[in-house]
Amino acid sequence: MKGKQSLAKSEYKRKDNIAGYVMLSPWLFGFVLMWFLPMVISIYYSFTDFNLLNEAKIIGFKNYIRIFTVDDTFRQALKVTFVYAIFLVPLRLAFALFVAMLLNTKHKGLGLYRTIYYIPSIIGGSIAVSIVWRQIFGNQGVIMSLLSAFGIVQKHSLLGNTKTALAVIILMGVWQFGSSMLIFLAALKQIPGSLYESARVDGAKSWRIFFKITIPMLTPTIFFNLILQIVNGFRVFTESYVITDGGPLDSTLSYVLYLYRRAFNYFDMGYSCALAWVLVVIIAVFTIVLFRTQNNWVHYESGGDD
Amino acid sequence: MKNRMKRIAALLLAGTMVFSMAACSSGKSGSKDNETSNPSDNTTGEATVTEAQAEPITIKIAWWGSDKRHEYTQQLLDLYTELNPNVKFEASPSGWDGYFERLSTQAASGSMPDIVQMDYLYISTYAKNNSLADMQEFVDSGVIDVSNIDENILNTGSINSKRVGIPLSTSILAVTYNPTVIEAAGAEIPSDSWTWDDYIALNTKVAQATGEPSALVSIIGPFGDTNPFSYWVRQHGGVLFNADGTGLGYEDDAITADYFQMWQDMSDANVAPDPDEQSQLAAVGKEALPIVTDKAATTVEWNNFTSVVSGVNDKLKLALMPSSSEGKGLWLKPGMFFSVSESSKVKEECAKFINWIINSEEANDIIAGERGTPVSSAVRDYMMNSGKMTEQQVEMFGYVDKAAALAGETPAPDPSGIAEVNEAFAKAGNSVLYGQATAAEAAATFREQVTEILERNNAAK
Repeated sequence: MKGKQSLAKSEYKRKDNIAGYVMLSPWLFGFVLMWFLPMVISIYYSFTDFNLLNEAKIIGFKNYIRIFTVDDTFRQALKVTFVYAIFLVPLRLAFALFVAMLLNTKHKGLGLYRTIYYIPSIIGGSIAVSIVWRQIFGNQGVIMSLLSAFGIVQKHSLLGNTKTALAVIILMGVWQFGSSMLIFLAALKQIPGSLYESARVDGAKSWRIFFKITIPMLTPTIFFNLILQIVNGFRVFTESYVITDGGPLDSTLSYVLYLYRRAFNYFDMGYSCALAWVLVVIIAVFTIVLFRTQNNWVHYESGGDD
Repeated sequence: MKNRMKRIAALLLAGTMVFSMAACSSGKSGSKDNETSNPSDNTTGEATVTEAQAEPITIKIAWWGSDKRHEYTQQLLDLYTELNPNVKFEASPSGWDGYFERLSTQAASGSMPDIVQMDYLYISTYAKNNSLADMQEFVDSGVIDVSNIDENILNTGSINSKRVGIPLSTSILAVTYNPTVIEAAGAEIPSDSWTWDDYIALNTKVAQATGEPSALVSIIGPFGDTNPFSYWVRQHGGVLFNADGTGLGYEDDAITADYFQMWQDMSDANVAPDPDEQSQLAAVGKEALPIVTDKAATTVEWNNFTSVVSGVNDKLKLALMPSSSEGKGLWLKPGMFFSVSESSKVKEECAKFINWIINSEEANDIIAGERGTPVSSAVRDYMMNSGKMTEQQVEMFGYVDKAAALAGETPAPDPSGIAEVNEAFAKAGNSVLYGQATAAEAAATFREQVTEILERNNAAK
C-alpha cells in the first residue's frame, strides 16, 4: 500500500517536471539562444580584432591591454558610471522607501496612488520620456525659463553644462523609483503590527520606531534592492544616449553607451566585447563584496543570529 | 522570506544581465534569408538576355534618406519593373540613423542586400573587408555607361583599384545665405570674392541686429564632422589625412588652432551658437534651422541645402565658400554611391539598374536632383533645359559648374576610423568653446588622438 502510493507520487512528480520544462521552454530557448550563446561567443570575440565585416583575428589580450593602458575615454566612461551609480542608488532607494511608507497607510484611493507612482518606472526608460526631459532641461526649456525668471541667468542650460548634465541624468534615474517602491511596500506590509504596538506602548517616538524597527526589519529588502539597483545603475544607457548623447564633452558618457559606440559606430566589435567583460567583472566584484558584508548588517528574522 | 528573496534576486539578476550583454552579439541573430540565388544569370559571357527567356529576378536594395526619398525611390523601382517585368525589387528604406549599424551586421552574416546606397564615409571600410563587388567588368563591357561622368568623381568609387561604388551625384561645400535677414540687418550680400573676414563681419553685423547667433554650420556645427575643417586645411595648403590614412596630412598645428580660435571668438561674441545652442539645433533638424526661419544669415552646407529646405523657405541663396579662390580648398564630393555587394548573385542585373539610374532621363525626372547634382553631364544638361526645375535646383546645378572651376583634387575617401576621428574632432573643438582648453592645446590633443586612431585602424598589421 505504502509502496504503491509513493510510486504514484513519483509518477506525479515526473509528470510535473515535464510540464514544468515544457512551460519553461520558451524562456529556456530564449535564454540559451539569445543570452547564453552570445555571451560565450562574446568571450571569444573579446580576444580578437573584429569589426563585424572582417574575419575575426585572434590577438590575445591586446584589447584588454588597450583598455587599461591607452584608452582615456574608457576611464572617463567608468568615472561617469561610478558617479552615476554612487548618487543614484542611495537617492533612489531613499526616495522609494519614503514613498512606500507614505503609501503604507490606510487612505482612500491608495491603489490609484500606487499605480501613479509606478508609472515613471514603466515609461521612464523610454525614448519618448527621454526626449521630454531633454526639452525640459535643455537650452530654451522650462527649467531655464524658470531660473531666469528668478534672476539666475546662466550661459549654459543644465544639460549643456559639463558640471550639471550628469545631475539631470541622475535625477531622471531617481524618478524611476517605482519597482523599488513596490518591493519596499510589500516588505513593509510583512512587518508584524505587534512590534509597532509594543513599541508605542513603551512610549517610543516615531523616528526611533523607524530606525529601531522598520529599518532592521527591512534590511533583507534593502539588500535586495541595493544589489538590483547597483546592477541597474551600471547599465545606464537610454538616458545618456537620448538626452545628451554622452555630451557635453563626455560628461555623461556612460559605460554602456561607450561600449555601444565602440561596437556600432566605430565597428570595433572585439574591443567592445572586451569592454563588456570588464563591466561584468566590475559588477560581479561589487555584488560579491556586498554579499560578504551581508552578515554585518542584514537582519533575517528566521536566521536567528541574535 | 529569505529563500524567496534570494530566488527572485537570482532570477532578476540573470534577467538584467541579459540586457547588458545583449548589445554585444545581437547582430548575429539577423536574418539569413538569401533568396536571391538565381542559377542562370551570373555568366558574363552572355550579356544579352532577351525578355522572352529572362527569368524572374529579385534585387534587394537598401538606402537611407527622408520620407520624400523613400516615396520617389519606390516609384523608380516600380517604373523599372514596368520596363523590365522580370526584375522585382525588395526594398529596405531607412533613415541615416541605424542604416550603417544594420548594414554591418548584414555584411557580417552574409545577408547584405544586392544594391546598397553607400557613403564616402564608409566605402573604404567596406571595400577593405571585401564586402563590395568590383564593378569594373560592367564598366568595361558597357553595361554601365560612364562616358558622361567626370573622371575625378568617378574614381572616388575606386578603392585599391577596385571599382566598388558608382557615384550618383556630386556635392560641393557652399555658404547658403538668407537675403531677407541680411538686408534687414543692413549688411551686404556675399560676393563670390568674399573672404573669411567678410564672412565674420557679415555674421557679426546680423547677430548684433537680431541678438541671435547667425553663423551656422548645418545642424551639427563647425566641429560636427571634419568636412568644413578639411576645406580650411586645404585652403592653407595641406590635406586633412595623409595618403595611407595613418595620420593627419598637414604638419602645422596652428592651422587647427586658428580654426578653433575663429569659432571660439564667434561663439563668445554670440555670432555663432555655443555648444549648448548647437545641440538644440541638432534636435530641431534642418527644416527648422534659424536660417530657414529667417533668424540667421548663413550656414555652411553642401550645395543641395537650398533644395532640401525649399518646401519651407524658397528664398535662400548660395554663395561660394569664403576665400575660395585662395588655395584649392573646394572639392567635388561624391554625394552618394550605389554599391553592389560581393555576395550578390545578380550583379549584372544590379549594374543595369544602376546604369539606368545614372543615365536615363526618365529616372532623373523622378529623382529631380534630390540625391544631389546628377553625376552625368548629359543628364545635367537635359534637366537644366527641361524647364521642370525649380529656381533652387537651377541654382544648385549652376553652383557646381561655378565651384568646380575653383575646386582642387578630390581627397581620398575617408580612412577607416573616421567616425572616431570625427568624435575626437568634436571633443577637441568643444573643449575650446567650453574654455577647458586653449585652441593650441586642443589642436595638439586632436593630432595625438587622430594619430592613435588612424594608426590602429590603418597601419599594416
